[in-house]
Amino acid sequence: MFKRPSTRRRNSTTEVQLNLVPMLDALVTLIGFLLFSMSFLSLVHIETPKPEVSPENVQQQLEEKPLQLTVSIREKETEIWSPFEKLQPKTLPHTAEGLPDTKAIHEALIEVKRSFINENKVVFVPAANTSYDILIAVMDSLRNLEPTDPPLFRENPQTGIEEPVKQLFPEVIFGNLLGET
Amino acid sequence: MSRLRSIRFRRGRKKHRETELQLTSMMDVLVIILVFLLKSYSTSTNNFTTLPGLKLPISGSQDLPPDSLHLIITPEGMTFENERIVEFELNSASLGSDASYSIRKVDLAEDARQITPLYDALVKARDRAELLRAKSKARDDGGNPLPFDGVLAIQADKRVHYDTIRKIMYTAATAGYKVFRLLALKRET
Repeated sequence: MFKRPSTRRRNSTTEVQLNLVPMLDALVTLIGFLLFSMSFLSLVHIETPKPEVSPENVQQQLEEKPLQLTVSIREKETEIWSPFEKLQPKTLPHTAEGLPDTKAIHEALIEVKRSFINENKVVFVPAANTSYDILIAVMDSLRNLEPTDPPLFRENPQTGIEEPVKQLFPEVIFGNLLGET
Repeated sequence: MSRLRSIRFRRGRKKHRETELQLTSMMDVLVIILVFLLKSYSTSTNNFTTLPGLKLPISGSQDLPPDSLHLIITPEGMTFENERIVEFELNSASLGSDASYSIRKVDLAEDARQITPLYDALVKARDRAELLRAKSKARDDGGNPLPFDGVLAIQADKRVHYDTIRKIMYTAATAGYKVFRLLALKRET
């Protein structure tokens, strides 16, 4: 019944231990590097070009009479208008706190975009005492389309297919950079 | 004596047993941290710094600013490329929430539209950038050095008025800068 001792099968399962120390070193170094080079300040930007004014441009504009959508922030109201009268001027009073009503501005601009779907430029004329956070808030309302906004479509001239408009008026140019308010 | 030594030796042998640290759980934690850091690691190439006390507005823009010349405006003064170039005149109200400050008259030119120290700093920075581009091997199609991009990133405190920003943009425009990037904090969605 019993096998002889020499023929007994011995279990040769030896426990293999992985040396994790070098891997640990590499991970700690990587984490240290990532923490060091990581930017905790999440910054974004709104780009605006320097307005170019030349007599040729003025003459061309007088002939062509473009929309030149303009948003002017005044002491008590915001006006949306076109210097070439392509648009019925709209005056929006400030909120009870005396700040521009960004929601009303945004809604009014969506209506303008509906009529001038290929227009991307807007001239922004803030008052001198407008603070930087209001400036950014109004520029956001001029440029961005929110997911809750009604969808706008524009025909792609190359494909002929209607595509959704992703931004409202992304090119914001300051209209009173040369001095007058 | 030999008997005592023998007992001590046996006790010592028990104490010096090799203990192995269980590293697997530590590895798990580190790998999770590494994945989290890699996911939230910003791929932008800018190295914009900020100043203590600077209150930035929040924007819904999604555009990450590339690296460029950088101007910080607080109600106390202006810092261009980590160097304070203009100190504002502070009024008593500036200590409160409303920033009340003004640019010194000696720092203004061209009917108070241009800020002289800023103009000098911007021209110096432009000249340095043009010199570096002239020395660089990068060339355009015509074999000329790449032109100065003329981009200025403006990082202003939320209390700073447009009047000051307009003066800055006017000064930068006269110094040959063509594009302004207004910086803000990204709105969390």
